[in-house]
Amino acid sequence: MKKIIFSVIFICTLLFASCGENGKMDETVPTLGVCFYKYDDTYISTVRQALEKEAEGKVKLLLNDGKGDQGTQNDQIDLLIEKNVDALLVNIVDIGAAQTIVDKAKSADVPIIFFNREPAEEVLKSYSKARFVGTNAKDAGIIQGQIIADTWKSDDYDKNNDGILQYVMLKGEPDNPEAVARTEWSIKTVNESGIKTQQLGLQVCNWDTELASRATEAWISKFGDEIEFVVANNDGMAQGAIAALQAAGYNKGDKEKFVSVVGVDATDAAKDLISKGYMTGTVLQDGQAMAMALYTIGVNAASGFDFIDGTDFEYDTTGVSVRIPYQAYNGEK
Amino acid sequence: MEKNNKDMDNQKFLLEMKNISKEFPGVKALDNAKLQIKKGSVHALMGENGAGKSTLMKCLFGVYKKDSGIIKLNGQVIEFNTPKQALNNGVAMVHQELNQVSQMTVADNIWLGRYPNNLGVVSNSEYIEKTLQVFKELGLDIDPNVKMSKLSVSDRQMVEIAKAVSYDSKIVVLDEPTSSLASEEVKRLFVIIKKLKDAGCGIIYISHKMEEILEICDEVTVMRDGKWVATHSASDLTTDTIIKLMVGRELTNRYPDKTNKISQFNVLEVKNLTGKYPPCINDVNFELKKGEILGVSGLVGSRRTELLETIFGIATKSSGEIIINGKHVYNKTPRESIINGFALLTEERRKDGIFGGLDITFNSIISSLKKYTRFGIINNKKTINAAKWVIEKLNVKTPSSTAKIRNLSGGNQQKVILGRWLLNEPEVFLLDEPTRGIDVGAKFEIYQLIIDLASKGKGIIVVSSEMPELLGICDRILVMSNGRVAGIEPVTNLSQEKIMELSAKYI
Amino acid sequence: MIKNKKLSQILLDYSLYIVLGILILIVIIKDPSFISLKNITNILSQASTRGILALGVAGLIVLQGTDLSAGRILGLTAIVSASLLQSTTYASRMYANLPQLPIIIPMLVAVIIGGIFGLINGFGVAKLKLHAFIVTLGTQLIAYGVSCIYIDRPPLGAQPIANLDDRYVRFVTGSLKFGAFEFPYLILYLAIVSVIMWFVWNKTVLGRNMFAIGGNPEAAAVSGVKLSTNIIIIFLISGILYGLAGFLEAGRVGSATSNSGINYELDAISACVVGGVSFSGGVGTIPGVLIGTVILQFINYGLNFIGVSPYLQYIIKGLIIILAVSIDVRKYIEKR
Repeated sequence: MKKIIFSVIFICTLLFASCGENGKMDETVPTLGVCFYKYDDTYISTVRQALEKEAEGKVKLLLNDGKGDQGTQNDQIDLLIEKNVDALLVNIVDIGAAQTIVDKAKSADVPIIFFNREPAEEVLKSYSKARFVGTNAKDAGIIQGQIIADTWKSDDYDKNNDGILQYVMLKGEPDNPEAVARTEWSIKTVNESGIKTQQLGLQVCNWDTELASRATEAWISKFGDEIEFVVANNDGMAQGAIAALQAAGYNKGDKEKFVSVVGVDATDAAKDLISKGYMTGTVLQDGQAMAMALYTIGVNAASGFDFIDGTDFEYDTTGVSVRIPYQAYNGEK
Repeated sequence: MEKNNKDMDNQKFLLEMKNISKEFPGVKALDNAKLQIKKGSVHALMGENGAGKSTLMKCLFGVYKKDSGIIKLNGQVIEFNTPKQALNNGVAMVHQELNQVSQMTVADNIWLGRYPNNLGVVSNSEYIEKTLQVFKELGLDIDPNVKMSKLSVSDRQMVEIAKAVSYDSKIVVLDEPTSSLASEEVKRLFVIIKKLKDAGCGIIYISHKMEEILEICDEVTVMRDGKWVATHSASDLTTDTIIKLMVGRELTNRYPDKTNKISQFNVLEVKNLTGKYPPCINDVNFELKKGEILGVSGLVGSRRTELLETIFGIATKSSGEIIINGKHVYNKTPRESIINGFALLTEERRKDGIFGGLDITFNSIISSLKKYTRFGIINNKKTINAAKWVIEKLNVKTPSSTAKIRNLSGGNQQKVILGRWLLNEPEVFLLDEPTRGIDVGAKFEIYQLIIDLASKGKGIIVVSSEMPELLGICDRILVMSNGRVAGIEPVTNLSQEKIMELSAKYI
Repeated sequence: MIKNKKLSQILLDYSLYIVLGILILIVIIKDPSFISLKNITNILSQASTRGILALGVAGLIVLQGTDLSAGRILGLTAIVSASLLQSTTYASRMYANLPQLPIIIPMLVAVIIGGIFGLINGFGVAKLKLHAFIVTLGTQLIAYGVSCIYIDRPPLGAQPIANLDDRYVRFVTGSLKFGAFEFPYLILYLAIVSVIMWFVWNKTVLGRNMFAIGGNPEAAAVSGVKLSTNIIIIFLISGILYGLAGFLEAGRVGSATSNSGINYELDAISACVVGGVSFSGGVGTIPGVLIGTVILQFINYGLNFIGVSPYLQYIIKGLIIILAVSIDVRKYIEKR
C-alpha cells in the first residue's frame, strides 16, 4: 500500500511539474494552436523549434503531437477549439481529412492555416479563413529531377551505355501525396529534359532508413551494376540506400564503384554524405523560412488582420496558398 | 435359463466392466481387468500407483478407447466417447485435482456446459433455484452465488459432488476424495456418500487410505499390474490383507523401524511466532532437537501449512523469533531461509514442487545451482553426477536422469524433490504432506528416508493429515488448532482420539 | 485495525475511479476552465470508437488471448466504408459510377469484413491451436496488405479516401440537440454497443462459457463446453466490433488511408488491462473496459489541455498504465 501511495504522489508531482508555463503569460497575448503530424519527424521538428524560438514571449503556442494518426489529431483540434485559440496552425496527418478539420474550424469561426501538407484547393476555398503555407509538393520532385538530369548530363553515368537511365525508387508511403508527387515528378522532370529512363524497382519504405537499406540490398544483389541511380523520397531512405551500397562495396570513394543517390530534406546526415562525395544531392526544404512564414501569417490571423497583411508573402495562383520555395542542395553552397 | 441368468445379472450390477484390455506402446496398461458395481453400494477400487485404476476409469469415461472388453450400464452395452457423454448418461467423476473455474460462482460451475437457457440467454433465477435444490438434497450449506475461489477445498469437493448429483448420476467416481480433507470434513463427505448410496447410486471410491475404505466401503476390488486381483466384501478384509493383495507380497510393517537418535541439542527454536496477514498463525512456540522428527497435526484450516510457510518466509511474519543452531535468523524470503539451512517440501507437488516439463537433472539441482557453476557457467558433468547421486541415493525409479519428471510416478517425483533439498545440505527439513497421493510401497521408502535423515542429526518437521502416519514415524506431535498450538506431546502419550481432542481446543 | 482494513479494501475496490478522480482533480487545479460540459462530451465521443474496439479486444483477453490485428482491421474496414460513401459530387472518387448507397450497406460491408478477419483469427486459435498473439500478428499484416492493395489501384492510384458523403459524416459526427446542449451520436453508439456486450457477457450462455474457458479451459472442456465453437464466436464478435469501429472511425476522421488504425490495438489492450481485464484470463467486466478507455482518453485529452509536452505525455501515460494495473491486480493477489 505504501508503495502505491508513493507512486501516486510521484506521478502527481511529475504531472504538476511537467505542464509548461501555463497561465503565467499575459492573457492579451494571442494564442496559436499548433498541430504537427508527428513530433519526431526531422524536418517538422526543425520547423517546430524555429517556431518556438520565434514566438517566445510574444505569442502563446499550444503545441500538439499528432503521432502520425489523424484520429488523434482530430481530437486535438477539438480540444484546441475548446480552449479558444485565436488561430489554428495545422500540419495535417491525412490530407483527406482536411474537409472535416476545416468544418470544425468553420463552425467555431477560428482561422486555420494548414502547412507542410497541402489540402485540396476546393477544401481551402470552402472557408474564407483557411489558408495554406508550404512548398508545392511537386516542386521537390521537379528539383530532384533537375539534380538527376544535371548529374546524368554532366558526367558519364550511363554504365551500360544504352542511353537509358536505369534507376530504383524508394517511395515514402503508398498514398501520401508528397510521396506520390515526388515519385511522379522527379522522373517526369528527367524525362522532360530529354532523358529516357527505366525503372528497375520501386519499394514503399515508409520513410524508413532501415527498410530502404534492406530494399537496396536486395536490388544490388539482383541488378548489381545495372543500377545507375537511386531516387529516394527523403534523405532518411537515401541514407539507408547508401549504407546498403557501401556494405556491397559501392560509394566509398572509388569512382568506378559509384551509384548516384538523391534524396529530399537536406538533413544534416545527408549534407555530410554529400560533402564526403557519397551522395549526389538533395532538396532543401527551408524549415527556418517556413517557421517564419507561419509565425507572421499566424499572428496576423490571430489578431484579426488579413493573413498576409504587411508581409512580403504573396498568394500563388490559387489565391489561398503561400509557397515557400525548395532549393537544390548538392554541397556547392 | 440363460436369459433368466442375464436378467439376474442386470439386477445385481449397475455397472459392469468385463475383460477390459488396453495397450499403450510397450506397456500393457490393462489386461482383462474387471469391475462390477452393485446398486446402492460403495465400491473401493484399490491398487498401487500404476496398477491401472485410472486407466480403467479413463476407459469408462471415453478418455481412452479400450482395445477389447465390454462395459454395461444397467445391463445395456455402452461405449462413451467423451466424459461429457458419460456425464449425460449418469456416469460422473469427481476428480482428484478439482477441475473448476475458480473465478466463477458455485452455481456457474455446476451448470457450466448446460445452462438452463432460452435461445442462448441464461435464466438466472432458474439455475440458482436448481442449485439450491441439489444442495438441499445433500444437506449442503453453500451460497451458490459465491465465487469458487472463496470456498475451502472441502467445500469445493462438495460442489463437485453436487454437480455429479445434478446430472442425476447413477455412478459416481470419487478419485482420492479425502486427500486434502481433515477428519472432520471426511466425516461430512461420508454423510454425503451415504446419502448417495441410499438413493441407489453406485459409488466407485478410489483411495489409498485403508482406514477410510474399511469404514465407508461395502466391497473392495484390488488391481495389480493392470489385472484384476480380487473382489471381496469389505467386512472380510483388514488393512493387512488389502495391502497383501495390492503389493502381492506380505508387508510386515507399514512403518520402518525408528532408528533415529534424538540429541540433547536444539537445532531449531521458534518463539512467539505470529503471522501478519490472515489466516495466520498466532504465538507459536516450540523447539526441535537434532535428530528429532516432529509431526504437525490439525484440521484443515488449522494453519499447519501456514506454520511452515511462516518459518520459511513465504508468509509474512509480524513478530517472533527463529533460532537455528543457536543463531537468530529472520527468514524474510525463501531464498534467505535456504541460505540459513532450511528446506521446504511443498504440499502441492505438481503446482509448487516440480518443473514438470524438465528433466530429473534440472529438477535435482535447481536449488543448489551455484555448486555446479564456474564463473556463472553450468558444468554439465557435475550436474549429471549430482542427479545420478539423487537417483541412486533415493532409489528413484527412472530410465535415466534425462527423463522428464512429469513422466515419473508421484512417489518418485517426491523422491527427486527430497533429493533436491538433500543436495543443499540443510539442517531443518519442513515436509508438508510428504506422502500425499503416493502408493503404499513408495510411502514406506519415503518414511525410511525421513528416518535416515533424522539419524544423520537433521531436524525434521512433518505436516500430515494422516494421523496414523504421524503416530508411526514421529517422535513428538504438535497439534495446531485455529492457528495456535494446542499441545506438543511425545507420540507415546498420544492416540488418534487424543489428537482430535486437541485439534478442537481453540475452535 | 479492522476499520483500517476496510478502508484499504474500499480504496482497492474503487481504485480505478480514484485514479480517474485524481487525474481530473489535477487537470482542474492546473486549469479550472476544464470544467465544462463540452470537454466531457468531447472526451466521451473521442473514446467512442476506441471503446468499441476495446470491447472487442476485451473478450479475447478474457479468453487468455490478445489481438494485435484490431487496429489494422479497423483501418481496412475504415477504408472500405469510406470508399463506398464518398460524396457523389467528388471528382476523383474511387468508384466513379457508384450511386449513393444507403448508409447501412457500407456499414454491413465493414462489419462483414471485420467478421471474416475475426473468424480467421478464431479459426487459428481454436482449430490450429495457435496462440492468439501469433495468429493476430499474422492477420495484422494481411489486413494491412489488403488495405494497400485496395487503396493503390488504377485509375487513381494511392491516395487518401476523402470527401465523404455528408449523410455519412452527419450520421457519425452529428449530435442530439437539447437546447444548447449537444449529445454526440458517437457516445450513443458506444452506449448501445456496451449494453449489447454487457448482455452477451453476463446474460448469455456464450458469455458464461467465455469466462469459463478463460478461467480454466480444462474445467470447461470436462463440463462439456465446446471450446472451439465458443472461441470462434467470441473472435467473430470481436471482428464485428472492429468493423463497426472502422466504419465510425472513417466518418469521424473524415478520411481513411492505409495508415488508418495503426497501433489502435495497443490503446485497446491498454484500456482493457487498465480496466481490470486480467491477462491470465477469466476476469473482466464491461464497465471496467469502458472506464479504462475513458481513463486513457482522459489522459490524452487532459494532458494536452494543461499543455504537457507530448514526449512527457508518453512517459506519464506509461506510468499511469503501470500504476493503474498494479493497483488493480492487488484485488486478486492474496497477501501472505
